[in-house]
Amino acid sequence: MSARIAFLMRHSPYGTVYPAEGFRAMLGTAVFEMDIVIVFIDDGVYVALKGQQPGGLDMKPLGEGFPGLADVGVKEFYVHDASLAERGLSASDLSVDAAVVAAARIAEVLAGCTAVLPF
Amino acid sequence: MKFGVMVLDGPYQHQAADTAVRFVKAALAKGHEIVGVFLFADGVNAANRFINPPGERNIGRAFDELGAAGIEVVACTACAKFRGLKPDLKSDHVKLSGLGSLAEFLGKAERFVTFAA
Repeated sequence: MSARIAFLMRHSPYGTVYPAEGFRAMLGTAVFEMDIVIVFIDDGVYVALKGQQPGGLDMKPLGEGFPGLADVGVKEFYVHDASLAERGLSASDLSVDAAVVAAARIAEVLAGCTAVLPF
Repeated sequence: MKFGVMVLDGPYQHQAADTAVRFVKAALAKGHEIVGVFLFADGVNAANRFINPPGERNIGRAFDELGAAGIEVVACTACAKFRGLKPDLKSDHVKLSGLGSLAEFLGKAERFVTFAA
């Protein structure tokens, strides 16, 4: 079975280093032509939010990086429907075209991966 | 079973690094193979050879000993730069390498386990 790696984005973009390191890991592993899947869940949905302005934190907007992942072949994005709804967000608020799916579908997607990396 | 391991948190602040070492030892004792241990984000701090906790378990030495025993233990080069972990501070049996090593471990492992807070 060839490697199919899921990256779970679980945390909000700037409170911890996890989302930024997750993003670097996506870029760094995708260039090795791995099949990459990205799932935004819980506060991780904020990672892909459009219009982030973290300049006051002296940090770079993380959400703007995701569309560029297409350049390294990463095109499969999922977002947890309830996590979006609980935060008053919709798919159009995100910087990437992510499939809005229920938890059961996310479980299926993860089950089809050879590894799941939680960030 | 071939296991890959990633550690996302530094030593002593959380349990992750301790548990990763114990997991690797337990897996080896059961006859499993460890394809590699990738120290990522604060996990690279476990590769500092000057870790010297008075009267406590030495997590830095524990990872170094895994490397000495033939396990490929790799600390992320970029993360090391973020944290000022210069090569001369690094434990002898931990290598500095990039995300290519993570990709390699992901490709070889039948199960991949992440230890984080």
